[in-house]
Amino acid sequence: MIKKISVDRNLCIGAASCVLTAGTVFELDGENKAIIIQKNSVKNSGPAEKGAWADEAVADETLLLAAQSCPTKAIFLFGENDKQVYP
Amino acid sequence: MEKKIKYLIVGGGVAGTTAAETIRQKDDAGTVAIVSDEPYRFYSRIMLSKPNFFLEKIPFEQVWLKDEAWYGKNRVELLAGRKAIKLDSAGKTITLDNGDILNYEKLLLSIGGCARPWPIAGAEKRGIFYLRTLDDAKGVISMVKTSKQAISVGGGFISFEMCDMLRLAGIDVTLLLRESYFWEPMLDETSGRMIEDALEKGGVKIMRNTEVSEIIGENAVEAVITKKGEKIPCQIASVGIGVFCPFTWVAEAGVKVNRGILSDEYLETSVPDIFVAGDSAEFKDLVLGEQIQLGNWVNAQMQGRTAGLNMTGAKNLFSMVSFYTTQGFGITIGFVGDVRPEKDRLIISRGSKEMNSYARLLLKDGKLMGATLINRTQELGPLSKLIEKRTNLAGKESELADVSFSLANLLK
Repeated sequence: MIKKISVDRNLCIGAASCVLTAGTVFELDGENKAIIIQKNSVKNSGPAEKGAWADEAVADETLLLAAQSCPTKAIFLFGENDKQVYP
Repeated sequence: MEKKIKYLIVGGGVAGTTAAETIRQKDDAGTVAIVSDEPYRFYSRIMLSKPNFFLEKIPFEQVWLKDEAWYGKNRVELLAGRKAIKLDSAGKTITLDNGDILNYEKLLLSIGGCARPWPIAGAEKRGIFYLRTLDDAKGVISMVKTSKQAISVGGGFISFEMCDMLRLAGIDVTLLLRESYFWEPMLDETSGRMIEDALEKGGVKIMRNTEVSEIIGENAVEAVITKKGEKIPCQIASVGIGVFCPFTWVAEAGVKVNRGILSDEYLETSVPDIFVAGDSAEFKDLVLGEQIQLGNWVNAQMQGRTAGLNMTGAKNLFSMVSFYTTQGFGITIGFVGDVRPEKDRLIISRGSKEMNSYARLLLKDGKLMGATLINRTQELGPLSKLIEKRTNLAGKESELADVSFSLANLLK
């Protein structure tokens, strides 16, 4: 179960593969970096807890696919007890 | 040596590797092999032109997207440093440059694009780079440390990123454009000039309508001479003048090729059991209704997935709107969909040079085909959705041109 997402802005190159695979969770900001779409119009690179995501119902598989599709491995996924799931 | 392989993949980049991974998920027993003409495992080719990678702000190790153990664990045989030189589609074999013959049941051609060679005598001298492979990148990384002057030839994503990296490394950069503005004729003049302004503010000297006629230097490049007779000293010449692949060995086997290797909407070529994915594919794009070739990471990745599934016997349509973005010199550039300015396109401008934010939306028969964006990459999401949904935009031209109008409203 994925509980938390964060994007390393130093690694992110704006290839936008995450936007394509999980467009309800990720978008690019004005600096061309990936951000996590959260409730109450909050958008930043995280870390963002599951409860805060605008799309709380997104499948783990979709998130995993998005993270795996990143060509710089800039997306970090965490499960229970902050255990890193990917990369 | 002759060997039987159920799923043979030629090309070890993102399309080929994703296909291998997908195949293994669906078929646990079938043999899978990847032939790669580079002596490396799968790496992030997209990272090669990124300044942070060059300047070693991103650790070099980050370039590897699979560790060595991945191949063994997934029983994917990697034949690295080997080139496929012959295809026999009737006998279903591939011949490698060491004479080995590989017999396949299903074949994937994920051979990528090749940099168009610089048609000038001496273009093989040290210091001249195309930036296509990891070895090219390693060469540039080491040259950057000792060089003072560089030229970049051609207008495009790679050229833009190279200029950025070279300037960040403190090198004097001259950009040589054969055309009258950056990225002509793919972009319009307004977009081209916006990019040029950013480059010039960043210290890049731009020479337009300029071609090199001579390369000076014994073994390594020392200077170039333009057709107008100007001499430009340089220790690095980065050449990005487009992509061109002859695909002769593929065509000789009876596989239909055009600019790329032609395929249907399942990514199968004109010859059964031979599939194509990635930059080398000129595929039937279901969204746009046209035969199209794209050179971007996400397209290659997703095509690798679809081709891999279809090689295992599935029948999945490939349908996706892909994009590519870059940033540098304080601006962002994004392309989404098909950005070729074909004659039948209606092009709508959104924003302006004065606003420092400008997009061009390319429509055909009221449907969005593609868009180019400068400092508007936030609109990639809604634009790709408008393309994908084939939203009828006829009569919405003034809204599309109005930057205060949110494109998301058209999706409701």
